[in-house]
Amino acid sequence: MFEYIWLVPLFPLIGFLVIFFNFRRLKGVTAGVLASIMVFIPFVISLFFFFGLMNGAEAKTVELFSWISFNKLSIPFSFLIDRLSGLMLLIVTGVGFLIHVYSIGYMKEDAGFNRFFSYMNLFVFFMLLLVLGSNYLILFIGWEGVGLCSYLLIGFWFKNQEFNNAAKKAFIMNRIGDLGFLLALFMLIHQFGTLNFAEIFSKSSAIPVGTFSITMITLLLFAGAVGKSAQIPLFTWLPDAMAGPTPVSALIHAATMVTAGVYMVARSNLLFVLAPVTLMTISVIGIATALMAGSIALFQNDIKKILAYSTVSQLGLMFVALGSGAFTGAMFHLTTHAFFKALLFLAAGSVIHALHGEQDIRKMGGLKDRIPVTFWLFIIGSLAISGIPPFAGFFSKDMILIGAFHSGYVLWVLSVAAALMTAFYMFRLLFIVFWGKAAVAADPKHPVHESPKSMTIPMSVLAVLSIIGGFIGVPALLGGSDRIQVFLAPLFSSSEAFLKHGAEVSESSEILLMTIPLLLILGVIFLAWSFYVKNRNIEQEEPERSFLGNLLYRKFYVDELYDTIVQKPVAGLSTFFHDTIEVKVIDRFVNQTGNLVVWIGKNIRYMQTGNVGAYLFFMVISIILILVLNLFK
Amino acid sequence: MKAIIALSILAVLNMFFGVRKMKKVLLPLIFIGLIITMILNISDWGKSVHYFNEMFIADNFSIAFSSVLILIGILIFMFANIYYKGVERPLEDIYALILFAIIGGIVMASFGNLILFFVGLETLSISFYVLAGSKKFDIASNEAAMKYFLTGSFATGFLLFGIALVYGVSGSFNLEAINTYILGCNGNVPMIFIAGMLLIFIGMSFKIAAVPFHFWSPDVYTGSPTLITAFMTTAGKVASIAAFYRLITIAFISLHSELTTTLTVIAVLTIIVGNLSAVYQDNLKRMFAYSGVAQSGYLLMALIVLGPKSAGILLFFVLSYVIATITAFAVLMLIREERGTFFIPAFRGLAKNNPVEAFAMAIAMMSLAGIPPLAGFMAKYNLFVLTAEGGYTWLVVVAVIGSMISIYFYFKPILASYFSEGEPQHKIESSVNFKINILVLSILMILLGFLPQVIINLL
Amino acid sequence: MPNLQIIPLDYYIIFCSALFAIGVVGVLVKRNALVIFMSIELMLNSANLLLAAFSAYRNDPAGQIFVFFIMVVAAAEVAIGLALLVMIYRSTHTIDINVLNKLKW
Repeated sequence: MFEYIWLVPLFPLIGFLVIFFNFRRLKGVTAGVLASIMVFIPFVISLFFFFGLMNGAEAKTVELFSWISFNKLSIPFSFLIDRLSGLMLLIVTGVGFLIHVYSIGYMKEDAGFNRFFSYMNLFVFFMLLLVLGSNYLILFIGWEGVGLCSYLLIGFWFKNQEFNNAAKKAFIMNRIGDLGFLLALFMLIHQFGTLNFAEIFSKSSAIPVGTFSITMITLLLFAGAVGKSAQIPLFTWLPDAMAGPTPVSALIHAATMVTAGVYMVARSNLLFVLAPVTLMTISVIGIATALMAGSIALFQNDIKKILAYSTVSQLGLMFVALGSGAFTGAMFHLTTHAFFKALLFLAAGSVIHALHGEQDIRKMGGLKDRIPVTFWLFIIGSLAISGIPPFAGFFSKDMILIGAFHSGYVLWVLSVAAALMTAFYMFRLLFIVFWGKAAVAADPKHPVHESPKSMTIPMSVLAVLSIIGGFIGVPALLGGSDRIQVFLAPLFSSSEAFLKHGAEVSESSEILLMTIPLLLILGVIFLAWSFYVKNRNIEQEEPERSFLGNLLYRKFYVDELYDTIVQKPVAGLSTFFHDTIEVKVIDRFVNQTGNLVVWIGKNIRYMQTGNVGAYLFFMVISIILILVLNLFK
Repeated sequence: MKAIIALSILAVLNMFFGVRKMKKVLLPLIFIGLIITMILNISDWGKSVHYFNEMFIADNFSIAFSSVLILIGILIFMFANIYYKGVERPLEDIYALILFAIIGGIVMASFGNLILFFVGLETLSISFYVLAGSKKFDIASNEAAMKYFLTGSFATGFLLFGIALVYGVSGSFNLEAINTYILGCNGNVPMIFIAGMLLIFIGMSFKIAAVPFHFWSPDVYTGSPTLITAFMTTAGKVASIAAFYRLITIAFISLHSELTTTLTVIAVLTIIVGNLSAVYQDNLKRMFAYSGVAQSGYLLMALIVLGPKSAGILLFFVLSYVIATITAFAVLMLIREERGTFFIPAFRGLAKNNPVEAFAMAIAMMSLAGIPPLAGFMAKYNLFVLTAEGGYTWLVVVAVIGSMISIYFYFKPILASYFSEGEPQHKIESSVNFKINILVLSILMILLGFLPQVIINLL
Repeated sequence: MPNLQIIPLDYYIIFCSALFAIGVVGVLVKRNALVIFMSIELMLNSANLLLAAFSAYRNDPAGQIFVFFIMVVAAAEVAIGLALLVMIYRSTHTIDINVLNKLKW
């Protein structure tokens, strides 16, 4: 049955083509419904595949056609369906479908409705390619493709120059990471002679741990992931990407594209465990990102930006898990994060929609009675992300924390700190937006209203998933069967041998490890409550901040830093190259050559004198020349 | 052989009906005849039949190139309708001459003996001389015919002397026997023989319009009636290059390494001079003549590196050249008829009024220039790869530079038709038939671009 | 035939080459179209002679057969050439080939 895998990316591709070529003809919500169906069908197919995998079906590589093959390098265009890709398929198509349906309601008034859905379908297509590829090249095609769609969708309202800049920033930062990825591809070909996962991973078992080339390869692959998944230092594009419509932020910048980096590292786990240096780098960057982004989120006032920094922070935690060897933990958190982050973004969209475009939380307040459905959804999302049991985030975060603990106490402490920050900024957001009095008086012309069912139903589904999603990974300790660990074991088991773990953690320690963070989180939530509900004082104006506060509020001045170090010198260099070299040297050279050719052409014509005698004469001379030259060599 | 018999009968029948003044029958008759000929020709595929004591060899190579020639005939007659619309004078002799020329070409592609080679060559050439002058009261046509005749006979003289020398030294006209003789010489081939061989090549170079023997080509192609030019530039080159190839690979193969220098120099000169001269031409017909010279240069490249696939690549190149050229000439004919001139300004605004014609012209030009994914690009690509693998990298560099230059003049009509505003020219009336024909040809060019291996693997 | 072989083959070759060269020069130098035709015929016939000579010396009739072919073709060619000349004469009233210079550059 896996032979039909090619159907999965086919549907969104058809959706894209149909909508793209019928821009003007599709009226009303047809494009949106069509696009959603084109994601739903793959979802159903993915379900079938997933159940097959759960029941023990073997992983399979399905080759579509032999694409590149010369000399010894053969890169077929083939898909790999195994438990890891099966899981990702469900996430991409499932969450993707829900967001498509949500968008029908959200984008209804927008003039670019059709264009939006064509891009969305195209994105799903590329993401599926990324996830299904059986070699690094197809993964890379999907990788680049989602980058492109991200650019298109961030700059969707292209009339606004700032949005365009955000889109460009996203694309360029992605590209910088992609350079690393490309170099890794070349090194992979050099080292293994192939880009196919199966071949690379089986050959890697023969390689000793810690070789220079594998370390370089994995570092470069990780560089690509840094760009795609917004880690330090390539993370500033993600908050700016909030310029796009909210469903875009939900789909691309929460659930799918940004997780591509995590997926790629998880897929390549057999390579990464051979490079302990890389693993450590990943953990360090992961935790640094998690802390930095989390701390920035504490002071942000734009509802979407808070969620954006939250995403960066959560991705950092996923990388911490990867760096500690807890690959399943990372994938588990990826899954649950997709659920609750998408939910949170969609709910934020609902709030923005209700307030007719307001995104500054200081101008919100008291919405819990006005938009109750959204309110409850938001609470569920916040509880999930903060790691409160029995919501999904608890179990996945727990797995990460345990993994971090195995890596070292310091890492564990820092990860807990990041989790605490998560709880604080989420509940700060919750309390400011929904509790208290409305900061701005209601405008009778634009009443605050709840979102339509087309938006609330998908959100509700996500909310349910956020509640029960954790149950796929309940650790044995709490009486669960740790199903996701078992499910993904075949992919990660070979790596186990390489990971150095500390002493086995006793049961009692494990309980401590679970409860201490939980208690701390509850404490933090209470703290937030006291700040923002009990003694509610939301500064409307820019307050006097301490140095530290300013630093955080200005996002560590990272953007400004980049501007000085990178942007201005590059722009200067570019201007120099253009004005001097391009115009004065290259243009002149090219134009002169062209003029030369025309001049020669003009004058060479005169060889044809029109006089037969002359022709015959030239012929005879040439004949004599040829004869003489050849006979008297 | 069957093809020749069929064509001869067809030509005679054609004259017969012409004499009887049954004009309307002529073209349909010829079409049917040509199709029957094509079928007969292809039916011989795979068997290598030797007629007349090894004089006429119908092997796959010959059948392939004969089919191309018959195809040229079909295409030419397809457009003869339009070209000779409303002409009162008898046309059957022109048609018959075209058929005879094709017969000459087929012979040139299938010879096994120098005598037959000469016969075929002369049949082709003499038919061309007459056809070039077929517009009796047009000075340009007269001049073209006379120039062609003078230079052609001159070259034939050299060719003949060369054959005589080769015969004298080797003792036979038969290609295989000549080869045996060369092999038997063990490296000491008499100078006279080489002189003879070179003279034969000079004669051949004349026919394909290689520099420095190309001087007749621009004048003759410009002066002749346009349909005849289309015929000459395609059939002439196809037959000649096939004959040249046959000559080198069967008779003179052992001496090939000695010849490559000369051939390379000629090829380089041809590509350069052909492309450069075409750059400043405003008269489209003359531009095509020069571009044809340049294309001969590329064709010569196939003779320089003889690999296992070179015959197939040659066939593919020739095929793509033929289709592109005839399409271009068809559109050119149409424009000439309506606008009365061959100059570039006549093309202005073509795209708005006649989108099909403009499209066909654009595809033809791009194929000749070598733009992917059209047939011309794949042909050049394969050819260049073959040459580069043979070690002639500099030659490929020159050829690529030539192609780049050629893009300039090939794109002149395209730019004029799509991007220039002429005075509002009215629509050119062309029959649906015409449109369908050139559309099919354009699609063929695109298709061939995707399936080069189909043709290349035939040989 | 024994008589012929008294004259060495080389003489024939040189003689034919000389004839050929004279023909070439004639084509290049003369402006009268008829004279040019004659010179071309001279070239062709020198080749004929050469072929006949080779054929006799090798006792191989193939060469002489070829001579027949060539003669036929030459005759046809000249017929065409003369017809073309008449055609041109009708419009230009001269047989000087330099009058053909309308097609140039």
